[in-house]
Amino acid sequence: MDAAPLTSKRRTGRWRLLPERGTISLFELLLLAICLVLVAVPLPQYLQDVLIQTFLWAGLALAWNIAGGFAGLISFGHAAFFGIGAYTSSILAANYGLTPWIGLWIGGALAAAFGAVLTLVCARLRGPFFILSTLAAAEVVRIAALNWAALTGGAEGFSILPIASIANMVFESKTTYAALMLGYFLLIYAITKAVEGSRYGYYLFAARDDEEAASAAGVNPLLARTGAMCLSAFLAGIGGSLFAQYFLFLDPTHVISPELSFQFALLPALGGLGTAIGPVLGSFVITPLSELLRSYFGGAGAGLHLAIYGAVLVVVMLYFPSGIAGALQRLAERGRKGAP
Amino acid sequence: MTALLEVRQLTRTFGALAAVAGVSFSVRQGELVGLIGPNGAGKSTLYNLIAGAIAPTSGEIVFKDRPVAGWKPYQAARAGVARTFQIPKPYRHLSVLENVALSAMLHDRTVAAACGSAQAILADVGLADYVDAPVGNLTVGLLKRLEVARALALRPSLVLFDEIMAGLTPSEVRGMTNLVAGLPARGITVIWVEHVLYAIMKTAPRIMVLHRGELIADAAPEVLVKDPAVIKAYLGEETSLA
Repeated sequence: MDAAPLTSKRRTGRWRLLPERGTISLFELLLLAICLVLVAVPLPQYLQDVLIQTFLWAGLALAWNIAGGFAGLISFGHAAFFGIGAYTSSILAANYGLTPWIGLWIGGALAAAFGAVLTLVCARLRGPFFILSTLAAAEVVRIAALNWAALTGGAEGFSILPIASIANMVFESKTTYAALMLGYFLLIYAITKAVEGSRYGYYLFAARDDEEAASAAGVNPLLARTGAMCLSAFLAGIGGSLFAQYFLFLDPTHVISPELSFQFALLPALGGLGTAIGPVLGSFVITPLSELLRSYFGGAGAGLHLAIYGAVLVVVMLYFPSGIAGALQRLAERGRKGAP
Repeated sequence: MTALLEVRQLTRTFGALAAVAGVSFSVRQGELVGLIGPNGAGKSTLYNLIAGAIAPTSGEIVFKDRPVAGWKPYQAARAGVARTFQIPKPYRHLSVLENVALSAMLHDRTVAAACGSAQAILADVGLADYVDAPVGNLTVGLLKRLEVARALALRPSLVLFDEIMAGLTPSEVRGMTNLVAGLPARGITVIWVEHVLYAIMKTAPRIMVLHRGELIADAAPEVLVKDPAVIKAYLGEETSLA
């Protein structure tokens, strides 16, 4: 479930092939190079769209993973943070003329505040009870957004004026959006790596694995958990703002839906919960797959793409219980044992 | 000499049951005190009260001249009270090294420094060969040593050991006994709950006996073995010593 743990023999001065806690590996650098190339080369519009979604979801899955993977706060309510971010920056831009470049931080902060309240209110809940509470909290946000039509446009939705300019954070070229989403994903990856290798990261792992033991070791578990949820919600909220600036249309049924919340949890679970690279791999495999299946079977066999998508999920969960990252790590261990 | 830890009329009830009933004692800096008693005597409850895992119903706990009854476990740890758990509670997804390093992070500012401290402590408790092992591979005896390592990594002034000898071989018991006996000289005061009586009787100059939540004796081991109340608690009334 976890990244390769820190070992006593830190082979300094040598590049690691596969991701490990506390260092950057060749695998990660290679992935970065591929991402940069994909943004730079001219691709057909629909492939660029897949790329943009893949980067966005890599970032969102990483954000979820800080709470769900590192701190063990499995949330089925992250769509609420996403929606709060999306609506906040969009409403501030439309009603007060505030540029989304500033609005997205405010959206993130509001999402973080909501995450803190949620964690503190649910402080005593564990396991399924916590999960259900997050699901319910997100539904409350969705219904509020549906009914507060004066602010959000309600069920009719909320449109962002498609006037391209840097200040509006609206762009003509999909390449710009791809670069923007890549930046978002890389920012969260950097934060994730920093948390993973820090004392705070260890406090989260400890509180997740055994709260009583962590507390006896001087860790305040509630504070650690709340911090993780705040950070996770903040980053998910920023992702919501970026999504709004790309799709230019919001409606509560789509941006605060339970399906969206499940997607947040699904990608890290498939890629490898509690690792930095896991959520990235989850998004890089699943997002293109679901988009391509949708476009391929969209017309005649409508719904077939969901069946195939579901079958793939079941297979991955059956054969790779610790995710794609877990399979990679086993491969690495086998390689290390084989080496002289 | 002033007491490091002072417990006054400490009581904790669970419903009608008084798990700890009016217990008073004090422990001086540098002491090694054994705490024994039959199963259900209230030893673990007493530890949970001192280490902040549960709050007392009434009574006082004074640590380093500060009233601390009802504090939280992380406050206790930060103030210098470390404990082990009778049933080991390792962090399942971390390595042996990381398990101990987490405790060392209380004082070490960086992860690397904490790993360095953890290595030294693991060598102390005889876990040097298991540094990189996942904790899932450890036997109960090794997990008990991991508990001791985690407690010592907090650099405590008072440590509460809870049955750290269970599951150890006789030679391991000797090694662990030597380690515990050496702690007071390193400035660590020890309270030690143990069912392996021969180890504790030989090592601790002072032993407290808890029975049905009450402290029935507090004396040197050679005095205890002749105490009728202690014999009665351990062996029952019917048994004749003759």
